[in-house]
Amino acid sequence: MTDRRYYLDTFKVTEEQMGRLVAEALAQGGDYADLYFEYTTYNDLLLRDGEVSSGGFHIDFGVGIRVLKGERTGYAYSENTGMTDMLAAARAAAMIAGGQARKQVERAASGMMGNDAGKTDIGNAGYGGTDSGEGWQDLYPMRQSWRSARAEEFLPFLKSLEQKITAKDGRVTKVIARLSDSQSDIMMFNSEGELTCDTRPLGSITASVIFCSGGKTENKTVSRSFRAGAEMVTEELIDEMAAEAVAGIDERFEAKRPKGGQMPVVMGAGASGILLHEAMGHSFEADFNRKGQSIFSGRTGEKICDSSISIVDDGTIAGNRGACNFDDEGIPGQKTYMVKDGILNSYLHDRISAKWFGVSPTGNGRRESFRFNPIPRMRATYMENGKASRDDIISSVKKGIYVDEFSNGQVKIGEGDFTFYVKSGRLIENGRLTAPVKDINIIGNGPQALADIIAVGNDLKIDNGTWTCGKDQSAAVSCGIPTVLVRSLTVGGN
Amino acid sequence: MQHTKDKYGETGGSLIVKEEMESARHFMETALRLGASQARISLSKSVLDSFSVLNGELDKVTHAADRSIYMYIFAEGRYGTFSTNMTDADKAEDFVSKAIETVKMLAPDPHRRLPDPARTAKDAQTGREAGLYDEEYGNVTSEERLAAALSGALMCGEDKRKGGLTGALVPGKDRQADRNGAETGMPAGDNWKMISEECEYSDSVDDNYTIDSQGFAGRHTETSFAFCSEVTIADKDGNRFSGYWWESSPFRSGLDLKDCSVAALRKAVSQIGPKRHRSGKYSMVVDRSVSSRLVSPLFSALNAMAIQQKNSFLDGSLGQKIFPEGMTIMDLARCCGRPGSRLFDTEGVATADAPVILDGVVKEYFVNTYMASKTGFAPTIEGVSRPVLMPFIQGGSSTGTGLVSEEKEVSLQDILHRCGSGIYVCGFNGGNCNQTTGDFSYGIEGFAFKDGKITHPVREMVITGNMISLWNSLLAAGSDARACTRWQIPTLAFEGVDFSA
Repeated sequence: MTDRRYYLDTFKVTEEQMGRLVAEALAQGGDYADLYFEYTTYNDLLLRDGEVSSGGFHIDFGVGIRVLKGERTGYAYSENTGMTDMLAAARAAAMIAGGQARKQVERAASGMMGNDAGKTDIGNAGYGGTDSGEGWQDLYPMRQSWRSARAEEFLPFLKSLEQKITAKDGRVTKVIARLSDSQSDIMMFNSEGELTCDTRPLGSITASVIFCSGGKTENKTVSRSFRAGAEMVTEELIDEMAAEAVAGIDERFEAKRPKGGQMPVVMGAGASGILLHEAMGHSFEADFNRKGQSIFSGRTGEKICDSSISIVDDGTIAGNRGACNFDDEGIPGQKTYMVKDGILNSYLHDRISAKWFGVSPTGNGRRESFRFNPIPRMRATYMENGKASRDDIISSVKKGIYVDEFSNGQVKIGEGDFTFYVKSGRLIENGRLTAPVKDINIIGNGPQALADIIAVGNDLKIDNGTWTCGKDQSAAVSCGIPTVLVRSLTVGGN
Repeated sequence: MQHTKDKYGETGGSLIVKEEMESARHFMETALRLGASQARISLSKSVLDSFSVLNGELDKVTHAADRSIYMYIFAEGRYGTFSTNMTDADKAEDFVSKAIETVKMLAPDPHRRLPDPARTAKDAQTGREAGLYDEEYGNVTSEERLAAALSGALMCGEDKRKGGLTGALVPGKDRQADRNGAETGMPAGDNWKMISEECEYSDSVDDNYTIDSQGFAGRHTETSFAFCSEVTIADKDGNRFSGYWWESSPFRSGLDLKDCSVAALRKAVSQIGPKRHRSGKYSMVVDRSVSSRLVSPLFSALNAMAIQQKNSFLDGSLGQKIFPEGMTIMDLARCCGRPGSRLFDTEGVATADAPVILDGVVKEYFVNTYMASKTGFAPTIEGVSRPVLMPFIQGGSSTGTGLVSEEKEVSLQDILHRCGSGIYVCGFNGGNCNQTTGDFSYGIEGFAFKDGKITHPVREMVITGNMISLWNSLLAAGSDARACTRWQIPTLAFEGVDFSA
């Protein structure tokens, strides 16, 4: 058995108390209840004007209690794990049912020994000390816990990052470098008797650089984020980020707005995965489809794009920002084909939508913290490789635009209209990359854009930047894509 | 909820109680004892209750109660920030000692210090001075919350049993005025049907108590009552359109939720039949519900941190006439009783009613104590509280001239008529503004208009430009800012904006 004691001790609860809480949560007639205990520590170091002169740490602790009655949700939380406050939260969440108890806690107390299908009662005892179940592999083992690391260990890395960026380009005027990490101990227990534990690290490094030349100012931001321990901070990573921070700056100073309008768009490998996140991923989240709000509602099994296209939402990439040993409902992380060979294969489900659609949960029930109820969210969203080469795709375009760096995006679920903001790219003229462009928004319609993907490259790249999705709650995600050609999108411009 | 009256002031009905205030003070004293030269402690508590209704039936009930202690530690010329929601006094020693240890690892920064005590607020002792607390808050029951959530929903009762609302648009009618049914304003028919309606009623109370080691003590308490509605419809071809609307007030009696879902439905229905509009330069009217999106980059660029980091397109603008004559934005933080009012910022510095931009001249950077020391700018306030963009009409005698505009009433219709034809923007879809250069590009949704009248919805359009150029093409600013918003930004109109489609 795994060291459940670590988590029980962390949250100062007993198995019997959890059983009592679930029973209380179901006392008004709820169908299902779960508890989500969380203890998260955050650390932050900031280099500005050449010195790491600002930093701190933050602690968040509490338990969220959810009750489901059909598709209805009651939710409450407590910031301490004393029984009095937790019972009060359980009663508040129970209000959703508002009737007589119809279902007793199934295996609530005795079920603590349950290890159904190998997915429960699996976790790691704090950092590193994994005592996993058979066949289970921790997607984010830590060699060094963020909690055991001292801030002073990282100061040289941030200074090195700043110095290397500055040394590479004489136009560098300012560098802000930040190292942020978090480590979350999670314990989940539900009325099915399932107990799931997980410890989730997340480390992120960001550098924002200002360049000045000839009276003009430009900026660039690079970032890396991984579900890994403090060992992720290496000089190799710093070198990689420093090189990327100054790459393409000449072009940025030269860049102009293109003439706007509809045109072919070649999406460069990697960060262009934002196209999938905004144009397709959100519309495949099953809560929107359960409510009939998504433009893809009711289209499962339909052919929606070229059969060379498969789009995946994957929680199983080790160390990836979107990796999940388990989602926040205790469902094991998994790889989900949203689109398989051009067919809409699956929505992204939490427990509520999976039950409603009569399918298995896909491990997409995620939440920002114990303060939020889980909802369907993406993890690492990407398109699988096609057969075309990047060069062939670009050379096939007579007049269009190539884009490869982005900042943010958005989608209207019902209409399917999405946008993303391009920080850098180039014009394509007669099959060749020419003048650099920047600061343009691109807009399109999800189903149409998907149907308009007419070439898929063989150079899939997952982008490891600090992507954060903001669907009501924040969630760490990532994205990726091979080079693709979209027949037509609307490009902002003069 | 406890009611006490003591040396901490009248705290009846507030969340933070005497023991918690003493706990905050204990955290501060512990910090000073363990080596901090200065410290500021901010204790926050909040409670939120919400009831969500999906298609006329209760869908979600949430009860949220938060608390946190935020510590700003200054030690040996160094600085760090720390927070925890484990706020019991017995946790202070361990938490603070680790915080002090962390601060001492950082590089010294001579510019870090607490603000001049003379600049801190002296008039925020009970939390009620900002006039944003409703005594009624404590009387709201769960049953009343549920009733409010249900009462604001269109799709309930008879409508629900019929399987939802349907309706039709009348060709040629003004879509904004297309309201002639008894319930929704939409005539019955088969041109659209409601797919889903999500409504949420919520109320909350936020209580903050901030103290520092120089003797500052400030309190801010506010309540909020809100209702929002999102409606998704499908036209006869199955195309989906959504509309969203919300109302809020610090006061229970100020929340008018009865037309919220109707407004959301009308917004959804009005989008049926969008057309592609040709790319080009058009006059742009921006609805008051979304116009703050275009003001936000100005405030970000006026922050001294951005200026010091050479990351502001308004670097060097202080005292300069950057914007058009007559364009004025006031920060009316002390308009007590109005959303957004506050008497002190996060440093404890007293707010003041002051111009940010006056007759086109930049009058204020947002400069905190740290940035004042670092840049030499006079310290002001950390950021804008309650900006009010005054009515404005380009040219002529009706131009606003400062604190009080000469143009008292400027409505959306006035502005549409003044512009004649163009694009009426009712929503932004993504996009960004480069804070370094001011270059922006946003996706938009809205309507084409001609001769001051809306003709049809437009789809998949992008606006592109530069913030300074855009604001210098300001044609008009209305007098119609929504009372429920913290930022009082009215309908705006600009000329010659680049639209791509």
